[in-house]
Amino acid sequence: MDIQPIHAPPTSFLRRYIFSTDHKVIAKQFVWAGLVFLAFGGMLAMAIRWQWAYPGAEVPAVGRLLMPRSGGVITPGTYQSIFTMHGLIMIFFAITPLLIGAFGNYCIPLMIGARDMAFPWLNAASFWTFMLSQLLVIVSFTVQLGTAAAGWTTYPPLSTNVGTPGMGQTLVVAAVFVTGVATIMGGVNYVTTVIRFRAPGMTYMRMPLTVWGLWLTAILNVLFVPVLGSAALLLLLDRSFGTQFFIAGAAGGKGDPILFQHLFWIFGHPEVYILILPAWGIVSDLLSFFARKPAYWYKGSVYAMSAVTVLSAVVYGHHMFLTGMNPLLGQGFMLLTLIISVPAEVLFLNWLHTLWKGSIRLPSPMLFALGVVFVFGLGGLTGVFLGTISTDLYLHDTMFVVGHFHFTMAAASFLASFAALYYWFPKMWGRQMNETLAKLHFWGSVVGITLVFGGQMVAGYSGQQRRLYDPYQYTFLSHLHELNKWTSFAAFALGLVQITFVANFFYSVFAGKKAEKNPWKVGTLEWETESPPPYHNFDVIPLVVRGPHEYSNPEVTKLLGRDWLSQTETLPEATSSTGSVAPEAIGAE
Amino acid sequence: MGTVVELRPRAHEEFTSSLGMIVFLASWAMMFAALFFVYGFARTKSVAWPPPGAPPLPVALPALNTVILLVSSFTFAHGLKELRRGRREAFKAMVTVTLALGALFLVLQLVLFRQVAATGLSIGDGIYGAVFYSFTAFHGLHVAAGLGILLWVLFQTRAPNAPPTARRGAINEHNTSAVRVCTMFWHFVDVVWVLMFLTIYVL
Repeated sequence: MDIQPIHAPPTSFLRRYIFSTDHKVIAKQFVWAGLVFLAFGGMLAMAIRWQWAYPGAEVPAVGRLLMPRSGGVITPGTYQSIFTMHGLIMIFFAITPLLIGAFGNYCIPLMIGARDMAFPWLNAASFWTFMLSQLLVIVSFTVQLGTAAAGWTTYPPLSTNVGTPGMGQTLVVAAVFVTGVATIMGGVNYVTTVIRFRAPGMTYMRMPLTVWGLWLTAILNVLFVPVLGSAALLLLLDRSFGTQFFIAGAAGGKGDPILFQHLFWIFGHPEVYILILPAWGIVSDLLSFFARKPAYWYKGSVYAMSAVTVLSAVVYGHHMFLTGMNPLLGQGFMLLTLIISVPAEVLFLNWLHTLWKGSIRLPSPMLFALGVVFVFGLGGLTGVFLGTISTDLYLHDTMFVVGHFHFTMAAASFLASFAALYYWFPKMWGRQMNETLAKLHFWGSVVGITLVFGGQMVAGYSGQQRRLYDPYQYTFLSHLHELNKWTSFAAFALGLVQITFVANFFYSVFAGKKAEKNPWKVGTLEWETESPPPYHNFDVIPLVVRGPHEYSNPEVTKLLGRDWLSQTETLPEATSSTGSVAPEAIGAE
Repeated sequence: MGTVVELRPRAHEEFTSSLGMIVFLASWAMMFAALFFVYGFARTKSVAWPPPGAPPLPVALPALNTVILLVSSFTFAHGLKELRRGRREAFKAMVTVTLALGALFLVLQLVLFRQVAATGLSIGDGIYGAVFYSFTAFHGLHVAAGLGILLWVLFQTRAPNAPPTARRGAINEHNTSAVRVCTMFWHFVDVVWVLMFLTIYVL
């Protein structure tokens, strides 16, 4: 088999650690890049919460340093920039690189038994293109009039030169375009790698659900990120080349601002599944691994995720119920939106069934996975109110929406990122993280998340519009000040708890306890190789004989004295005479 | 640690690279699809097209350009066949013809821009003007990128064992996967143009 030859690892420092084409190194680069921006986006969130708790009060400690001209107070203009960049950074520059960039890169080749991605060079190019986009974001903070301020959705006319004349908005739109190109490069790689580089015997229906989630995400990325690219491109043309695609009416042009909303949400709705599908996949696997049970109805989960992938492309209109859309069209979108909850429910019930009567272990990755189940359940249920036109008319653009998408897209993908990080950390760095700190991090995070986003939902249900600089200047909202203040306190606590992770992460990367090859006793391929794996991943490309979830099979326990079986393991001779667990025929390449 | 293995099974590699290109082109097609969506959306919402007062676009020159680009697709495809038969010189000649046709396309496109600008249509004239200038310019950028790729193909083509033989990257009858991928890109740019010609100029 020299389809995937063993290459000698590069020897120079630059080729080895900086401009590496090794998917494992690139994955770690994405981890660092994602975590730094996650902290950045998190701090912006703290600033928003400060403003809602104490509107117009000086930001303690760092206020005067960062905003000297206003005396440390968040001004309305700054506030706009803060909530805009919180959203954009979290979605495009923190969660995307963490879940898709880092774990997509790390897990796909290792879990399907490949030596690297199909196009290693393209993979490195993807990371460095992504770096360029992060650089553009950083630069945008330093230019005159500050960074982008038109909301994360960047709706025109606010996002055209009429609403945000500064260079910062242009730079951020460019950054979104560039990060889109990086995502497409990664997506092309992931899609091709899964199709072409699965180890012999690794059929589609033997792939871990993590790989399924990441692969479907890659497909969505490849098909829908370019639509965002088009929207960003046309917006850039409007901003810098004098076209009039989106400028209209009083803003002085003959374009159509609603057009942008169409493009944005054609991308934007698949995007929420882009962020959640890897999380679903990872959680589906982890629940099985730590309940020591086969994943309930594996194929059902695969079908459900695939169905969601397809449906996600045809529901975008529910973001635009209030744009004067034809009511018939609106009803169609409503129907499709509600249909999507059927496969989502299948997946959710599969999770519960997987847990049912399992011998559940609760190490930190499992806790985070259960956290995902919890917050996604809350977020999913509240989504029904927003998908239904009659209720959405009232809830649209309120804090209820903010709470909903934070539960589903933010909290679920955030917790899943950490589940993945705690789970694969021993493989990535060859060391164990501290369990006590990890559990502290989990409880702090999940309680904090529930209080913060729950608080937002209650505020929204009481009528508080999103994005208000000072909600309490409206008398009908002034009684919500107390609620918002307590929500903010929960948010600050949530922010502080993350310190346990930072401390744990840095300590463990450099000085954690050495991890063994397979600390979780799990049978997927990445645990077959060393921790951390050698440059070429596998000395011999593994031969896969079974699915990823072989746990608590009584026959295995009787024969081997343990409750798990690797994907490459065949049972000892004795069993094949009984004929019950004979390894299936392998279609070797 | 093993040494570098010299040869990969060509068929596997060619299939993989073609598949990668197909996925990439599917992605890029969605980008153009979004542009066509913008155009269609604007047209269905406007009472008349071209909008009242805006000059109609010429058809003859873009039609000529369409023919030029279509012919260039055939010459490139024929070149690939010649390469597979081991006729490197014929291949290079075909690539050169393709290159010339592509360049001619871009020149005529610039001439067209000047013609249309002379009729008084500017890029700031609503969606009508914006679509004409920016979409065709965006497509032109792809043609220009294609020309760069063709030049690279010409430069990389050499005999199988001629020094300095780069193990990877050298294009010859034994290593055609790079050329195949490039032809796919060129045909794609071609198809996009035909769609643009039909929707922007003819309809």
